[in-house]
Amino acid sequence: MALSKDIYSAFEDVVGPEYICNDPVIMPSYHGTEFAAIVLPKDTAEVQAIVKLCNKYKLPFRPVCTGWTGKFSKGTLYLDLRRMNRIIEINETNMYAVVEPYVISAQLQAELMKRGLHLNVKGAGSNCSAMLRGHGHLDQTTSGDDRNHLAIEWVTPAGDIVRSGSLGSSDEWFCGDGPGPSLRSILTSAVPPGVTPGVFTKAALKIYHWPGPSRFPVEGISPKYYLSEIPPNFMARYFSFPSVEKMWEAEIKIGESEIAFELMGFNVAMVAANITTSNEEEEQTFQRLSKEVQGPGFFIILAGNSAADFAYKKRVLEQIIGEAGGRSLASVEDPRTEGILLCQCIRISASIRETFRPGGAFSSIPVMGQRDLTIQWAIGAGQAKEPLIEKGLIVDDGGAFFGWGVEQGHLGKTEIFCKYDPQNPEAKKAVEDWHNAQSARAFQERYFALLAGPNEEIGRGLSNYHLWWNKIQQALDPNGVSAGAGALV
Amino acid sequence: MGLEQYKGDMEMCCRCSACKWIPMQRVSGYRYAHVCPSISKYNFHSYSGGGRLNIGAAMLKQGFNYTDRLLDIIYNCQMCGACGVSCNYAMDMEVLEPIQEFRIKCVEDGKTHPALDQVIAGLRKHGSEVPPTGKRGDWALGLHLKDATKEKVDVLYHAGCLISYDKNMQKLAKATVKILQKAGVEFGIAGDAETCSGGRAYQMGYQEDFLNQAQKNMALIKQSGAKTVVTGCADGYQAFKVLYDKFKLKGNLEVLHISEYIDRLTKEGRLKPQKKVDLLVTYHDPCRLGRLGEPWIPWAGKKVPGDRFVFDPPKTYRRGTHGVYQPPRDVLKSIPGVKLTEMTRIKEYAWCCGAGGGVDASNPDFAQWTARERIDEAESTGAEALVTTCCWCEKTFHQAIAETGSRLKVYDIVELVETAIT
Amino acid sequence: MEQGALAAAISPDLITVHPAERDRYSQDMSFVNPVRPASVVRPKTAADIQRIVKFANQTGTPLVPVSSGPPHFRGDTVPSVGGAVIVDVSGMKKILLVDRKRRVAMCEPGVTFAELIPEVEKVGLRLNMPLLPRSSKSVVGSLLEREPVIMPKYQWDISDPLACAEIFFGTGDEFRTGQAAGPGSIAEQWAVGAVQKAPYGPGTASLHRLIQGAQGTMGIVTWVSMRCEILPSLEEPFVIGSSQLDALLQMAYWLIRLRSVNECFILNNTNLAAIFAKERPPRFQSLKASLPTWTLFYAVAGYEYLPEERVSSHMKDITEIAQRLGLEAEKAVGEVSAHEILKAVQRPSSNPYWKLRPSGACQDTFYLTLREKLAVQIDAMNVLAEKAGYPASQMGVYIQPVVQGTSYHCEYNLFYDPQNRRELNRVKELSTLAVRELMAKGAFFSRPYGESKGMILNRDAATLSTLSKLKKIFDPNNVMNPGKVCF
Repeated sequence: MALSKDIYSAFEDVVGPEYICNDPVIMPSYHGTEFAAIVLPKDTAEVQAIVKLCNKYKLPFRPVCTGWTGKFSKGTLYLDLRRMNRIIEINETNMYAVVEPYVISAQLQAELMKRGLHLNVKGAGSNCSAMLRGHGHLDQTTSGDDRNHLAIEWVTPAGDIVRSGSLGSSDEWFCGDGPGPSLRSILTSAVPPGVTPGVFTKAALKIYHWPGPSRFPVEGISPKYYLSEIPPNFMARYFSFPSVEKMWEAEIKIGESEIAFELMGFNVAMVAANITTSNEEEEQTFQRLSKEVQGPGFFIILAGNSAADFAYKKRVLEQIIGEAGGRSLASVEDPRTEGILLCQCIRISASIRETFRPGGAFSSIPVMGQRDLTIQWAIGAGQAKEPLIEKGLIVDDGGAFFGWGVEQGHLGKTEIFCKYDPQNPEAKKAVEDWHNAQSARAFQERYFALLAGPNEEIGRGLSNYHLWWNKIQQALDPNGVSAGAGALV
Repeated sequence: MGLEQYKGDMEMCCRCSACKWIPMQRVSGYRYAHVCPSISKYNFHSYSGGGRLNIGAAMLKQGFNYTDRLLDIIYNCQMCGACGVSCNYAMDMEVLEPIQEFRIKCVEDGKTHPALDQVIAGLRKHGSEVPPTGKRGDWALGLHLKDATKEKVDVLYHAGCLISYDKNMQKLAKATVKILQKAGVEFGIAGDAETCSGGRAYQMGYQEDFLNQAQKNMALIKQSGAKTVVTGCADGYQAFKVLYDKFKLKGNLEVLHISEYIDRLTKEGRLKPQKKVDLLVTYHDPCRLGRLGEPWIPWAGKKVPGDRFVFDPPKTYRRGTHGVYQPPRDVLKSIPGVKLTEMTRIKEYAWCCGAGGGVDASNPDFAQWTARERIDEAESTGAEALVTTCCWCEKTFHQAIAETGSRLKVYDIVELVETAIT
Repeated sequence: MEQGALAAAISPDLITVHPAERDRYSQDMSFVNPVRPASVVRPKTAADIQRIVKFANQTGTPLVPVSSGPPHFRGDTVPSVGGAVIVDVSGMKKILLVDRKRRVAMCEPGVTFAELIPEVEKVGLRLNMPLLPRSSKSVVGSLLEREPVIMPKYQWDISDPLACAEIFFGTGDEFRTGQAAGPGSIAEQWAVGAVQKAPYGPGTASLHRLIQGAQGTMGIVTWVSMRCEILPSLEEPFVIGSSQLDALLQMAYWLIRLRSVNECFILNNTNLAAIFAKERPPRFQSLKASLPTWTLFYAVAGYEYLPEERVSSHMKDITEIAQRLGLEAEKAVGEVSAHEILKAVQRPSSNPYWKLRPSGACQDTFYLTLREKLAVQIDAMNVLAEKAGYPASQMGVYIQPVVQGTSYHCEYNLFYDPQNRRELNRVKELSTLAVRELMAKGAFFSRPYGESKGMILNRDAATLSTLSKLKKIFDPNNVMNPGKVCF
């Protein structure tokens, strides 16, 4: 949908001719969508001016950070926030960092590590925006979901600038809540099924202590990176268990005893993906590791603040694993593999090798919340993958799911996905059917509800949350210009 | 087959943006984390490796629509291959190959850049990528070197266009001669008969011209009896070693970059850099000696039907793993007094100097912008000098330094070795 | 308001119009203007509450929810307008769930800390408590007020330890936040093994955050669930006394950053004496005289596995930090032992409430701030107090690192004799002046109460405007506690 010359030139006045484009040739690189135009604002003032114009012309817009995934409507104005890429502040004294949307986690993490600090890197990968709402490998000790945000600078869908919490009152970023009720109730960022309308232009994030080196001693040439040594007071292991119940028992004890730096409920297919550098090698490694494990398992990183702390944590781990009948996977005990996994899980957040490399696509059902409950559901969802694996429609991962404890096991995350070739229509259809069936089962059996889109039945089943959200959206966005739907990582 | 053969690869792009950054675990701070000059300068995703593949895949399906913007995207790329290295850390798919094919298709379809057309016109006329000033072999006048067009040689030194013709660069050829002579190497040159390797023409998308040059060069080599070609520039190195092999023209020819050869000679004890050169240096890996200098891996096969993007026979990807990284560093280490401090972006994820892909001709401002970024990075190490192993890099850096007023010195590695052995 | 109409809406047994009863709710220990409510209702069930809210919407009757017992201190339960109905839910005392494995408890708003603590302890859990709440304080009330908690290590988010809540919004609609929203009823969720723990959602919004800090202006909560922590099997409390606040703050910073300790807070000598002096002067004065200006308290804990080893490894690390800062951890300061403090703060205050012990009344001024601003703000408060004729040395100060050390709750407790009009006026004037002066020095009053709320809220028009939009959605007729916060 082409913009009129006048409207195009109005946006051009804001960002300059260099930073706006509506040539159809670039659209395939923007999610294959016919956007009205792509604009690249450089700061909050430009974002505000763009949003005001969108209101004036009733033009829907969507802001995007790194833009890994997303579903968009034709004719939308795409705000590519790439140029808003500054780290505004790292406040070590008060344990937060302030970033613009296009600072990626790897950048912020590297700066933080130099200062003995780190952050929650989202599962989408350290190549994605640091300010996202989401979950990741490090949730055990760095929380997740919407819980790491402090103050946020937000351009509302109507084009007003709201600075939440202490930012609005005292120009500091340490708190996102109040005065009075918290705007964090609606400022929760960008994960499916919905996003806060408007644009987050800066956000303060909680940061955490990092007991490791200022940088990992990475050696080698891509893709065969390895650590020259395992950092002092660090250890990574993979344990498998006789049953899911035993695994869960160990996971919860580890959470309660606060010993894990990271606890990632990888299945062996994901371990294989992460330690290998090609599809062929991955397949062989998966077959080999499958024979070495006794059942489901998890990957764990211990990190001590001191030698004494590390020794204590190791001893507790040994006891918990022993009680649960866990068995360490010998391959991961090899320091080379151990180091690779440390980097994959802490610095990269793993994602690409284990999701896109095999077939080019994956379809996932991620569930945040109560780990034991979602595991119960995931067992069935895993079994439902098996016929697809047998038919060769999805990659063989043993029908596995994965997940981890959040905040030392207080909360959790479980996820299951099918990796497939998106160019194969039969596979695509089978995966869609699996996704729909398992989502429906989760809802019907009262485990949880996936909120992939407006769905009256699900909304009714969830305190009519959708009606409230619609009202909020209407109040904030009277001209309906802040387009919804889709993920923005 | 052209671009079509990479349809599957292009469709594999998951838009993760890894192609914009150095490999994640190599990111050591906020600065110097980007790897692709094009997306860094032009910002629209279309200028990234992934964006180029997205457009390529779409145009294969929907037809080619050559707008000005498309050509701007196509030609504002140094073809440095950094995107591919970062992508291929995790993914099994070709990245630079389809980008290269897209450019070749543009040229085939007559959608060329006027500045590059001019370069190629010169190549066709003079066998040189740079406008000739005098005769190609003038730099060797009075050196009494073996003429490989007249007598058999084991080792042929291919100076390259820029070193041969650029008055400021001829010193590199002379230094090379001095080094080889000092080591007692019997070698020859082709002098006025030397012709461009064609490597840069290929980067620009002029495949026919490249092949034409390759055939000429291989004929000359065959005639000379040379078993080893030593190149003075990284573009020539990659052309002889990788591209000629890709097109099955190389045969058993051994191709060495001068830095590799010096390293070999030093390790064999034939060359002993003894004079102290007190200098704190940082080293710039030229793209075509480094990540793109790794050997070609011949492969032909078909995708295995099913869930994975795998092939029969299995395909081994060139991920930048086996580029020439250590030899120049070892050479620097062998020079007494030289201390090497590394930049953030090195080896397989080095930032390009800006000159590649014909960008120095088609968009000198962009080339300079890219070089300035590298100069800044080199300065951040505290080094006194930036050492490289490609005359094109050196030239681009010199220009950037002149513009910025940086006090950084720029040397080709042969200049330092020359000092150390005389 | 038609009394009969209310009686028609809910059981007349639940309604009181007796003047004495109404008077009890017409004022509190704050300086807000007394307003007598028209009646007091004491619902017993969620259905009662829904009927009351619907009635209020039909008749435009202001409702003032109250969950804790008296004395109240912040003016939030005193009607701002005439004709209001007090909805006193303190009689709703069911403890609905305590789940050891999922570390969660759930209760109605009338449940006090004293009532809930033994129930969670039975299964090996504990609450992350505010500092010595009064015995009548509702757990739900404390959570909804975003009161700071004494174990900052376990406060990942400022909304903690609140998990989920059920609320009747001002519209009369029932809503459950977070995981509790569904699918299914609470009973159906329990049947499948679900508890009400995850706070976020459903969907984009996390409405528990809207209910918190709202002082009852969004609706009436009928239950909340909360995350609980494991009851330690071993605890080692310590104190560090110093006249140098900054050193103690640095110490607290590292203790929290390394997650070495559970309870962790700083009190000045006035407050510590107020807590432990069972009698008024002279005991209070002699105890205070024995104390350092500032006391940092912390406790190291061990759990199920190798508790001694855990405690000793933490203590070793802590000793190194203390040495680096030139501090020394001890088992007592003056006449107060670390053990006494630990035991005290794991329970609500004994009666009389510790804030009332020194002089009979107390006015609190509290805000959130950054670590490096505390010293300047405390100095400013001291100067203000002296200027106002209130001896700074009599002022209690409580510093609570919150949300894992991302900010600091700073609270000044102005003890005074409520019978002494001059003193009362002095404190009243000082507390208003303090808000203005402290804001100028970077204090963020995230929980605005009483007379100063306008001054606080006026600083951020954009937030105010957005909150007003939300208020119109959830309480379009403005029946929920009108006049509070910014509504």
